[in-house]
Amino acid sequence: MPGPSQKELDRRKRVGVNKHTVSNVSSTDFPGHYPGEDHSFNINQFIKNCTIQFHQRSPSQSVFSLIGIDTSIANALRRILLSEIPTLAIEDVFVYNNTSIIADEVLAHRLGLIPLRIANAEGLKSMQWYFKRPSDEAEQAELPENFQESIPTADNCVVLTLKASCSWRNDGKKRWEQGEREPTRLYEGSNVYAHQLEFDGHGRQPDVLGNVEPVNPDILVAKMRPGQILDLRLHCYKGIGKDHAKFSPVATASYRLLPTIDILQPILGQEARKFARCFPKGVIGIETVSGADANRDSGYAGHEGEEKAVVKDTFNDTVSRECLRHDEFKDKVRLGRVRDHFIFSVESTGQFESAELFVEAAKVLKGKCARFRGNLQQLIR
Amino acid sequence: MIIPVRCFTCGKVIADLYERFMELTADQPETDGPAMNELGLKRYCCRRMIMTHVDLIEKLLHYNPAERDMSKKAMNH
Ligand SMILES: [Zn+2]
Repeated sequence: MPGPSQKELDRRKRVGVNKHTVSNVSSTDFPGHYPGEDHSFNINQFIKNCTIQFHQRSPSQSVFSLIGIDTSIANALRRILLSEIPTLAIEDVFVYNNTSIIADEVLAHRLGLIPLRIANAEGLKSMQWYFKRPSDEAEQAELPENFQESIPTADNCVVLTLKASCSWRNDGKKRWEQGEREPTRLYEGSNVYAHQLEFDGHGRQPDVLGNVEPVNPDILVAKMRPGQILDLRLHCYKGIGKDHAKFSPVATASYRLLPTIDILQPILGQEARKFARCFPKGVIGIETVSGADANRDSGYAGHEGEEKAVVKDTFNDTVSRECLRHDEFKDKVRLGRVRDHFIFSVESTGQFESAELFVEAAKVLKGKCARFRGNLQQLIR
Repeated sequence: MIIPVRCFTCGKVIADLYERFMELTADQPETDGPAMNELGLKRYCCRRMIMTHVDLIEKLLHYNPAERDMSKKAMNH
């Protein structure tokens, strides 16, 4: 029995974007949905169909198309990017002295949010997890009986120190009397920046991790005035975004489906220009109706030499549906999206390169699958 | 009070951009749009963090108990 035609396959994976609704949203390529068709998973088929195309690539941001993959897997990868790739962040803050006007807990929270980069990124893999006893009683009751709280060691904890103080500049007081009010000209060390964090390597850490420093050296941590002092010792642990957003390696990781625009009936002349204005620049182009067009398509017959609207590049379309609000266009165009064409956008907070993060996410997903398979095998035993 | 370290919505680090933003807009307040573009703030969540921030810590810094302690110490000597 012959399989479905290419046209039918394309139709099946087209999500309809209508004036007030969306249609055909669920995928149907699974076994048993179409009588007589085999849609069971085939790894060779998958390898053949799945492709990645890069549109933009820099250490901080990657935009790429992931084509020929089911939504469930694309979404799993997105969620792993957000919340399950381990990074290092400040977790415990020991305050020896803080006479600044920023309260200890606020300062600790601000410090926690600073993204930290390990010079030797592979070193993070060799770090062990740090298990902390939850302060919440209900959560404590759920702990396994053999739970053991970790002790900070060189294997699971990186120590940073922050010592800062503010004082008058030599001629600061004189300038103050002269009416100078700009803090940087009056005081020394009035702004505390992230680059003042110092790595205090223990054991093998200097060899394994290299250096640990903030990704953005100019983060303003605190503001102080003469006589105020900060003396802190910071314990950084390995963690994941599921536990706290500060561990998330991405600022945003999102995807959208590739938009499609099908012009069903010719749109000509002034209307074509109006139609193009319904979309972002470059999505709809204006061309002249050629003789070949007029011969091939009855709709263009007799309009030779006039201007017509053509779809040039749907990639930048925002799918605003503006064209569907105009009565003259609503039956001449069909909007949609391709269900298995994901345009990913991954923006790194700087610990890892953005493209590398996606590979990392795939590795985490692979690990999850392996664990699940192991559990299934235990079930049947 | 003090500029937040990250954007509340998306998590982009913004605390290192605020001072540069203030420098860029110091003389002409109407240039905040181009200034934010220059700082690479493209999402409106991050833009509102910078644009609507009021640096109240500058007001609170006028009250400095450490200064009083220092002058007390100097007087005792
Ligand atoms: Zn944001």
